[in-house]
Amino acid sequence: MKKVKEFMTRDLTSVTEDTSLVEATEILSLRGLNGIPVVNKHNEIVGWISERDIVTSIFPEKVKIENPDIVGFTNLSKVVKKLTQVGQARVKDYMSKTFHGVKEDDDASDVAELLLHKDLKRVPVTRNKLLVGVVDRASLAHILLEEGTLE
Amino acid sequence: MIVTVTLNPAYDHILILEEMDPGQLNRASTTMRIPGGKGVNVACSLALLGEEVIATGFLGGSVSRPFEEYLRKVGVTTNFIYTNTELRTDFFVMEEKKNRQTLLVEEGSAIELRYINSFKTNFERLLGQADIIEIGGSLPKGVSPSFVKELIILANKKNVKVVLNVQEHILKECLGTKLFIAMPDLRGCENIMGKNVCKLNLRPLISKEIMDKGTEIVILNSESFKYTVANKDELWEGEIEAGKAPIKIGVRDSLLAGFIYNYKSSGNLGEALKYGLGCALSTARNKKANQPNSIKEVEELRLMAKVRKVS
Repeated sequence: MKKVKEFMTRDLTSVTEDTSLVEATEILSLRGLNGIPVVNKHNEIVGWISERDIVTSIFPEKVKIENPDIVGFTNLSKVVKKLTQVGQARVKDYMSKTFHGVKEDDDASDVAELLLHKDLKRVPVTRNKLLVGVVDRASLAHILLEEGTLE
Repeated sequence: MIVTVTLNPAYDHILILEEMDPGQLNRASTTMRIPGGKGVNVACSLALLGEEVIATGFLGGSVSRPFEEYLRKVGVTTNFIYTNTELRTDFFVMEEKKNRQTLLVEEGSAIELRYINSFKTNFERLLGQADIIEIGGSLPKGVSPSFVKELIILANKKNVKVVLNVQEHILKECLGTKLFIAMPDLRGCENIMGKNVCKLNLRPLISKEIMDKGTEIVILNSESFKYTVANKDELWEGEIEAGKAPIKIGVRDSLLAGFIYNYKSSGNLGEALKYGLGCALSTARNKKANQPNSIKEVEELRLMAKVRKVS
């Protein structure tokens, strides 16, 4: 079974706790990602910030479904005010401090189990606590199918 | 761990044809599109040699993702800052019959201050993992040579060695900081520090002038496969018979990568120069990428390199 380091995406795109939510959103948008690791000054992972965390912070339980096709807000001015506040907020205020990650020497099967059981799309990979890459479902599926074909 | 910095990367669009007829319709027999920029080229060569390397700098636009994917495929870890601008493309027309290369370079868009600040924050974090930082290539609009100096000072504070592979005006701005290796980019010019680099007898003077301002090793060249390497104690000259190897982009960067890789373990200027020349020629022979064909070929070719200690 292949090790994570053999198929992970060797990319260190991340934010720090002090990154603004606006900047974090731009990074996710420009890169087409749904979440990225939050690291400290030593490049150790301290959290995970996802599009879901950010969207939830903008529309906290106030979204009302009036019609299956139309999403409305109970009070638009409240949402605008909230948007201004969130724009100035820092990643540390909205990130998930409990996150799942894998080590670069873990087996592909361990990652598959984690992604499926926890319903995760993407997890960070570490070596001695330092961020060294990420693994997502697509690359994992590709590697598992490849191994299955070989067997 | 080596971190390479490419502040102004570009896609290298390479068009190979027998001979170009300016002003007429010309058809390329072969076309390649590969990630380029001095730091990126150095990173690719280092990765092939088995070195753990992170490439950073600015990217932007839809072509940036395949750019990064290519680097990761050759073993480079990516950590670029994405901006709201489009990645540049540089066009290389290579005429096989004349062994001549014509380069058309895009200037690119200006980088906004917020991205420069993000880069600096990220760079400081990378310094914690780096043994060597290599800064290579030109600067995009919005980034001044003093910013490069700022990066070097940050690296100096953390005792991370700095390799500078840039044009003379950037190098001059940065002299006075502590540099491990300075390799001026002399494409399109023969003079550096007011002296003609083509004259071998002037190279010791040029090297000394740069070393007197805080640089440990100076690498100079005027042609693709003829180099001079100096530190405060020794000066070496080296060349390798290139035969029919075409003039090609990335050859100088590959020499630098090979030199760094070997010098890290050997600490020997002559041996490192030989290894660098092997890398350079292997890269010139590689028809698909700006990196050596293989470690095996580098090991074989370095034996063909002729180096001599001048002083």
